Parts: sequence; structure tokens; C-alpha cells
Amino acid sequence: MLHSFRTNAARARRAGVMTGTAAAMTASMMLGHAAAATDLPVWDDYSYEGQVAVMESLNKNFEAAHPDVKIQRTQRTFDDLALTLKLAVSAGDGPIVTKVNQGAKDMGTMAQEGLLLPVDDYIAEYGWAERQSDSLLARDRWSEDGQFGTGPTYGISGLAEIVGLYYNQKVLEDAGVELPLTSFEDFLAALDKVKASGQTPIAMGTAKQHLALHLLAAVSQAHIDASDRAQLDDLVYGRGGSWNTPGNLESATLMQDWAENGYFTDGFQGISGDDAVQLFIAGQAAFMTSGTWYFGDMQINPDIHFMAIPAPEGISAPLSVGGVDLAWAITSIADDDASRDLAGAYIDYMVSPEAAIEWANAGYLPSTTLPDDADVDLAPLLTEGVAMWKTLNANDAIGHYPDWASPTMLKTIDDNMPLLLAGRQTPEEFIGMLDTDYAGYLASKN
Amino acid sequence: MKSSVLDAPARKNLIFLLPGLILYATFVLGPIIAAAVLGFTEWNGISAPKFVWFKNYIELFGDPYFGIALRNNAMLMFFYCVLPLLIGVALASIVSAIKSREQLAIRTLLFMPYIMPSAVLGIIWQWLYNPAFGPINQILKGLGLGALALPWLGDFNFALPAVGIVATWYYFGFCMVIFLTGLQRLDDSVFEAARVDGAGSLYIFRRITLPLLLPEIRIVLLLTIIASIKSFDLIFTMTRGGPANATLVPNIYMYELGFQLGRYGYAASVAIIGAILIFIVNYAVHRFVRPADGV
Repeated sequence: MLHSFRTNAARARRAGVMTGTAAAMTASMMLGHAAAATDLPVWDDYSYEGQVAVMESLNKNFEAAHPDVKIQRTQRTFDDLALTLKLAVSAGDGPIVTKVNQGAKDMGTMAQEGLLLPVDDYIAEYGWAERQSDSLLARDRWSEDGQFGTGPTYGISGLAEIVGLYYNQKVLEDAGVELPLTSFEDFLAALDKVKASGQTPIAMGTAKQHLALHLLAAVSQAHIDASDRAQLDDLVYGRGGSWNTPGNLESATLMQDWAENGYFTDGFQGISGDDAVQLFIAGQAAFMTSGTWYFGDMQINPDIHFMAIPAPEGISAPLSVGGVDLAWAITSIADDDASRDLAGAYIDYMVSPEAAIEWANAGYLPSTTLPDDADVDLAPLLTEGVAMWKTLNANDAIGHYPDWASPTMLKTIDDNMPLLLAGRQTPEEFIGMLDTDYAGYLASKN
Repeated sequence: MKSSVLDAPARKNLIFLLPGLILYATFVLGPIIAAAVLGFTEWNGISAPKFVWFKNYIELFGDPYFGIALRNNAMLMFFYCVLPLLIGVALASIVSAIKSREQLAIRTLLFMPYIMPSAVLGIIWQWLYNPAFGPINQILKGLGLGALALPWLGDFNFALPAVGIVATWYYFGFCMVIFLTGLQRLDDSVFEAARVDGAGSLYIFRRITLPLLLPEIRIVLLLTIIASIKSFDLIFTMTRGGPANATLVPNIYMYELGFQLGRYGYAASVAIIGAILIFIVNYAVHRFVRPADGV
């Protein structure tokens, strides 16, 4: 098994035996500094240019504060991380600190197999609960019997994510839409006006990535008031329930109507999500629903702004899909107290106010609350994002990604969404497929 | 005559086989055996595999997604095998009649797609098909044929043919080269005799060239059928099996099951069925595509 602190002491000892006492002393003196150095293997999914710069800076700061530690950073894409992490850690040759996707497929499986270690002691030691709300930390909890949202906490995230409504102010004003949009009905009316003006109302691409899933979930969860969120929490945390809700049904019906009536980008079925983002940035559509992780790309066009999907009548505090990015976690490779404590200290720095300021300055939305006196020069989009994040946290209105509900939910949605949008499946049939998937998962847990 | 060390009894020469045997056992035989064993287990890639014997195979034959994958694979065979074979034979006949210098240039140009990695081709063609930026739809719109500018890789009806055409484009040059070598093997006197007897070009091609090329046809069929059943990279880079499984094939399904859903045992059973299919189809080709003299 790979040990957390790969010291050079053993090598020094072997050298000593081979070359005699005097030589050993010399070698020992020469390797004195190296013997004290320890490696900290870290895997993360920060692969965009801006993110890499922040990570390199944060790691440099941590090494400066811990001169005896050398961080061995491995950067992987989201997909590659999911593909390799479980196999590497179970083979005993992976990271000590890693990012891991919450939900049943990755964090749930790894926690149950003992490949991740609880971080509750470090939450108490470093006061992480004061930096992030309990509802965010709940997304990193898995009980011993596989219950999501309860039990020991297995991680904490550095960045916040909100799936919201990007809009192009110029395109909307050219179409005669009055801003701000204050209700869901305003949003629907704006779509019609944009369509009538000959512009594309919603940028969409379903060939790759998950823009359609985000739009579906964002519209659906905007129909849920924060005071009434228990049903959604139960569903996502695997406590049971049904996807057949008025919000889901209305969202699926609207999606189908928009697809059939030309409200999405022409040829959206053959365009990837990333391509749709580029089209939106180029002013080729009025709206796009996706996450704050696109802030860096979006700020190229100053006409683009970000807001929550406006609430329908009767909903005062609508949920917004989102939460946090992949969690920082400690793996079972950390097999002694010293390596676990070092991992805890590293994660503490990654979710510290200092790291949050660095992320914010780079245009990203940190999950740790920014200090009031922080010296941060926020980009306009990030200012809107930070304000939204504060409101959502205050209202306990941060929703969920539907695909966290079961290990197969993402595939089920990916398989059925094109059928819904092509009119080959009714909204009721689509929701029925989600229910079938979910029922199968609940049955497999019993 | 001085005897060679290699003339020794086989057991004494085993040592010379060892390097190759070790590599083969490590990287081919071992994984095949491991996959066969895994196919009888439930394994999430982390905990110890649990033996379930034939449960995976029983489930597989009732699995609608596997049925879709097999059906798509059967359709893809038309693009991987039949079309390249027909185009290859036709082009070989044409190119072989061209003078040697020009023939070399044309042969090289037509063979060119085959030397490129198919994953790279997939990425390039995905861009060519892109409805927003791709040149295919831009040209169609420029010609006033906007109605034909479809989202090719996102269309339920056209996604599979769109991927298949790329496979055809990839393999026809290879088939042509095989048939060209076959044509060079044939004795000119047979064709001269036929011409003296008054046979036309088409008659000669149908009754003489094609039957004499049966050994090459068999080779081409064997290799392209194996390629079609193994198909993964083109589809992975172009559609990942979408939209809604319209281009799902067994190898993509195996990837999804294993690496995305953590069902390694079930995924291994898909791989084993794929291997068995290759054996069956190849046996059928060996058995039924056979020259009259039985070569």
C-alpha cells in the first residue's frame, strides 16, 4: 500500500548499511532535508485555465506555510476523475486528498466501501460549519446503511454552484422585452417576444453535456417554495417519493413545446452544450439556463447577466438548482493520524476565507462565505452570483441536481430527454421513466 | 549437414517462445480469462466480486438496451462491410486499368483515410456534421437547400447512417488495396481468352473477376465484420451512443455499464457475447464464402 508520507528515510538507511557507518552519516546529512519532506498526493478536477491558475497559487501558498510538505497534484477532467478514482483508491495507489462527486455513484459507493474517511472531526476542529451552511454539508453525508444526507460527513466543497438563467440584455431589449423579469409569467412572455422578433429565445444543445437537464430541473424547482422543499429533499436523499409532481410535469411539457415550436437553437439535437454556450456568448440567443461554472466564459460579453429563474405566482422563495462543486475528501490511503491530519489541514486551507477570496478574484463563486471586509474586486456577473448565493442560503432555497437521486438517473434522463424533445414521448411518459428508475434504485437498497 | 539449434525437439525450443508467450499471456490471454470469469460475477469495481453464475447472461438476453445495441450493430455492418466491399471492388477495377504512375497517386489518395486514427476521424466528422458551425450544413444552406440541413448526429433516423458513412469512408480504401493485390494475382491470359471469345467488360467482371477474387472478398469480410463488432471509437467520439441510444452498440453499452454505472460483471458478459458473435459470424464467412476450388 502506498503510504501517505513517502519519506526517504528508508532509502537513507539502506544506503547506510551498504556503505558503512561513515558514509551513512554523510548520506544522512545530505538527505536530511529530503528525509523530512513528505508528499501529499492530491487529485482534483479543476481543469479550466482560470481554475488551474488558482489551484497552483493555493497549493504554492500551502507549501509555503508547510515547508515540509510537497503536494503531488494530479489534474483530471470530471469524467476521468469519476472513471479512475474508485479503482485507484481500492488498489491502494491513489490520492490522499481528492475531489469526489457527491451522490450514490461515487461518494456513496466509496463511503460504503470504506474508501473515504469521515471529516467530522475536522469540521469541529476547524469550524467549517461556520463557513458553510448545514444544508450544504448534508450533501456530503452518507450513513452506514447507504442513506444519503445523514450520517458521517465525507467532504466539503470549495466552490458554490447555482444553475440559473443567463440572459442577454441587448437581445431582450432589441426584442422589446422590459427588464427586470419579476415573475415566471414575465419569463414566458419574454420568450414569446424574442421568438416573434426572429431571434432564438433559448440557447440549447443536447448532443453533449446537460443543458436540457439543467433547464428542466431549473424550471421545475422554481415551482417549489423553500418552505415546501421536504418532498424534493426526500426524493434526492433516497428517502422515497415520486417525480410525478406538478412542477416536473409543467417543466417537461414546456420543454417539449419549446423544442417543437422552435424556441431552441436551430439543430440543437446535433449541437453540444459547450457549442450552445459559445452561440449564446456570441449573441445568438436571449436566454440560456446553466451553472455558475460558465461565469469565466460568459463575462466576455458584457450584455450577459445572471439571475434565478423567476418564481411563478404564489412562490415567494423559489428553489434554484445547485449547491456545491465536487467535495474535497480524504481517502483510505491516509492510513495514519499524521497523514489524515495533514489532509485535514490541506482541505481546511482549500475552504478557507483566504482561498475563497482567491477564487472570487478569479471570477468563481466560492462556497465559503466571503469575509465582509474582503479585498475582492468582483466581476459584474460574479456580483450577481454572490448576491444570489446569499439570498438562496438565507432562504434555504438551494435545490438539487436530479441525477443525484440514483446511480442510473443521469443515464435515464440522457436516454429519455431526446425522446421527450422530439415528441416521441409524452411528458407523462418521461416522468414515468424517472419514477421507474427511482423505484428500481429504492428496491435495490432494500 | 550442420543442424540448427532450432531443429531440436519442440520442448527444448520452448525457451525461445517464452518472451512472446509472457507478453501474450499478460496482455491478451490473462484479460480474456479475467473477462470470462468476471462475466459470472457481480462486481462494482471496488468490493470483492460475487459469483452469480449465469445471472448476467440471463438478464442480458432480456435486456432491451442490449437488443437495441445488437440491432444497431447489424445495421452498421452494412456500412462497415457491404458498402466498403462494393466500393472497394469497383474502385480496384477502375484503378487497375489506369497507368502505373497515375495509379500510384490515386491509390494513395483513396487509401489515405485508413491511415488516420479513427478517433481523430470521429472528432473531425463530428465538426463537419455540426448544425451550427459545420461546413456540410453551411453548404446546404448556401445552395438554398436549408430544409436538408439536418442535425445529423442528433437525428434519430440519420445518426446511425451518418456515423456509418464515416466508417465506409474509412474502410473502402483498405478494401480497394486488398482487391488490387488480388487483381495483380490473376493471370491476364484468362481475361484475354474471354475477350477473344467475345465477352464484354461487365460479363468478364461478373463471371471471371469476382469469382477469382473470392479469397480477397473473404479476407475483407472477415476483417470488416470484426471491425464492425468491435466498433467503439468512431461512435464514442461522434455520438456516445445517442441520441436516446440510436447509435448504441455493444461496446459502447459495455463501456457505460462498466465505467459509468460500475457494473463490471455485467459489462464483461456483454464483452464475452461480442467475442462469441465475432467467432460465429467469422465461422459463417469461412464456411460459406469459399472459392469453388476450396482455397
